[in-house]
Amino acid sequence: MTAPRSARAVARRWPALAAAAALALSACSGEDAGVGTHAIKVGHTLAASQELTRAVDAGGMRSLDPSISTDVPAAHVLDDLFEGLTRLDERGEPEPGMALSWQTSADGRTWTFHLREARWSNGVPVRAADFVYAWRRTVSPVTASEYAQTLAPVLNAIAISEGRLPATELGISAPDEHTVRVALNAPTPYLLSLLTKSYAYPQYEPAVRAHGEDWVRPEYIVSNGAFVLREQVMGGRVTLAKNPRYWDAAHVRLQRVVYLPLDRAVQTSRFFAGELMFTDSFSAEQTAWLRARLGAQVVSAPYLGNFVLGLNAQRPPFANNRNLRMALTLGVDRETLVRYVRQGLYQPAWTPTPPLPGYHAPLPDWTQLSVPARHALAQRYYAAAGYTRQHPLRIELHYPTDSDNRRTYEAVAAMWRANLGAQVETYNEEFRVQLNERHLKKLALFHYAWIGDYPDPYTFLQLFQTGFGYNDGGYSNPRYDTLLNAAGNEADAARRLQLLAQAESILNDDVACIPLYYYATRHLIKSYVRGWASNIQDRNLSQYMYVLEHQGQ
Amino acid sequence: MRYFLRRLLTAVPTLLVIATLAFMLLHATPGGPFDSDRLLEPHIQHSIEARYHLDEPVWRQFLRYLHDLAHGNLGPSFQYRNTSVNELIAQGLPVDLTIGSAAMFIALLTGGTAGLLAATRPGSWRDRAAMSVAMLGISVPVFVIAPLLILLFAMRLHWLPAGDWVSGSWRHLLLPSLALALPYSAYIARIVRAAAIDALNQPYVRTARAKGLPTHTILWRHASRATLLPLVSFVGPALAGVLTGSIVIEQVFGLPGIGRLFVTGALNRDYTVVTGVTVLYGALIIGLNLLVDMCYAWLDPRTRIRA
Repeated sequence: MTAPRSARAVARRWPALAAAAALALSACSGEDAGVGTHAIKVGHTLAASQELTRAVDAGGMRSLDPSISTDVPAAHVLDDLFEGLTRLDERGEPEPGMALSWQTSADGRTWTFHLREARWSNGVPVRAADFVYAWRRTVSPVTASEYAQTLAPVLNAIAISEGRLPATELGISAPDEHTVRVALNAPTPYLLSLLTKSYAYPQYEPAVRAHGEDWVRPEYIVSNGAFVLREQVMGGRVTLAKNPRYWDAAHVRLQRVVYLPLDRAVQTSRFFAGELMFTDSFSAEQTAWLRARLGAQVVSAPYLGNFVLGLNAQRPPFANNRNLRMALTLGVDRETLVRYVRQGLYQPAWTPTPPLPGYHAPLPDWTQLSVPARHALAQRYYAAAGYTRQHPLRIELHYPTDSDNRRTYEAVAAMWRANLGAQVETYNEEFRVQLNERHLKKLALFHYAWIGDYPDPYTFLQLFQTGFGYNDGGYSNPRYDTLLNAAGNEADAARRLQLLAQAESILNDDVACIPLYYYATRHLIKSYVRGWASNIQDRNLSQYMYVLEHQGQ
Repeated sequence: MRYFLRRLLTAVPTLLVIATLAFMLLHATPGGPFDSDRLLEPHIQHSIEARYHLDEPVWRQFLRYLHDLAHGNLGPSFQYRNTSVNELIAQGLPVDLTIGSAAMFIALLTGGTAGLLAATRPGSWRDRAAMSVAMLGISVPVFVIAPLLILLFAMRLHWLPAGDWVSGSWRHLLLPSLALALPYSAYIARIVRAAAIDALNQPYVRTARAKGLPTHTILWRHASRATLLPLVSFVGPALAGVLTGSIVIEQVFGLPGIGRLFVTGALNRDYTVVTGVTVLYGALIIGLNLLVDMCYAWLDPRTRIRA
């Protein structure tokens, strides 16, 4: 009897402490703790201090060298430091950047870009040769770039990275100081989007020559973007300052941007403490709790990624067993999964490619059926595959350790148990261990999520091409490969997307994988931070953002 | 003196064993530093691995590593391009050293005071209060204390920052060192109390009391040395733990120390970072243990004779 009374006494005497404890508990359980919303009064004039603190995922930022960097945190910083031939606009669409205009040849294989008058941060003009130098450096085997193959659409890129041709043979040239000509292997409709990426930025040759890979350190770096690098602590903060020499500096309002690499939970607490204005992610489990407290400051939108279960097409039980694959894909209730396990943040997936502008991904016919009808059909396929409740399918589902993954896959396993009677054991491993086993094609049923490199179906569909390095399920269908190759050589953009859609419907017919849902971005953004828009690549350039006058945190 | 020289020399094979074990265990784990879920053509993978000598047989990599280690070079980091492990440690260690020494200072001050206050009146309300708080400090883990401190002082009261590292700023130092200090402070309070009670019951203390000396003189002049002995044997290894950084503290407060480096290094298979930090931890523990033994010799002449 004394315990409740003393707890109340504590709450009376130390309301803040009690609230804090409740907050800590509710953070675990996702319940409402009764703490008031963070009320902020936001004005309509610019704040005196134009400084933005942004979080990025911890454990990245391996390099800020545009030729070498591959991780997402560094990509955010590089978006602010450099600019390619095109840049992303506020909505995340490519628009003229260093190039003022461009023309395409009739076959779509040669692009000519005309540069604007722009300067490096040291005052030297940006020349066409700076692009030629940078691209050659990226594909050169000496650089040992993990991203050499992302320039694969450019003529000879792969041959050069394999050391079979000299870097001078790369399909990029500078006919004069203000013209960049790019020769491609095949028409590449997503080229303008690729050009906004770090590996397509220009690089200042004298800096690289003088300092080697150290040229991106704050003391040596020369960049051409809206900001310059001021400070970089390994595993810690990265500070940028406005670049007064940037060609569009007149429209850049932020004077300082601070990037902090932090874990998800830490990001949320820093946001509440008023030390972060723009977080990178929050835990999906906390969605409802955060929405109740932060309202419109919780921002979520579709993201270019799918959450898919891979099936090994070369080993039992899935090899030559479409019935079983159908039974499993029909036996998952994606709507339930999305609503109850993933807090309604994500969109259910029926096909590998997430929704993209201009592309109509084909849906399997059975998506028209009601849920009970799907279950009945799943049971028929399951029986046809030779399984019964007495002799159920017994299989292990492998996924990389993560609390969100665990919840999802345990729910999926439970659905298969309830709907089919299948005995699925979920088995988690550390990320790299799972990756290794997947690549060796040791796993039959595995986590196979993928984030697209550019907003085009091809980045998702190539995963199922015969012999593709990351086709971890070993799926192979000559008709599929033919369609994908035909799409690769198609100059007409609409026709190309049609071919890709045809290819994708083959994947669906074959049940090459089990799509579960599409990812969504998850940010907490202070209501006084403006000048951003959710976009499918989740790239928000600081150069468009600004801080409004506000009271409170 | 000869004894300590011998101890220093035995430290070398110990460190060698630590380095070997760390190196072998890491290389035995599946997955390499340059595996990713992104497409990597075999020749590119090869040219990256050649750059870091990962294409050589493991024994040769090991010899190369030992050779560099003997020259004080911990090798290049695999996860941070063009950055050596020495640089990473040089950048991260000051953070841990500052927070660690601040935490140890807080722990000694609060724990020592509480322990002595409790010992002078065993069984009193003062003793019970101090020991209950200490019990709480020992049993509540850091990953609960630290977020609670953040919730209270940063999110509710907005008095102190919730994290981040600004060199030289005491406001940024306070919460992490407090969170790190609490459990140690609790241990120290209990050790000091037990040792002081023990010392205060010794015949020489009774003699001092009989002579009419005031309590604080007795505590300071007569009981303090005996109280310090068990404290020193606790503080030595504890100091190594505190200085090399609590991984949890670094994670919760988002500090760029070496503990975090160690964890991300292990996850990214950054072989050199993990072995480098392990060797550093080993060296610190060996060094501080040696220091403890030296303090013992100074405090207690009996151990000097035996040594």
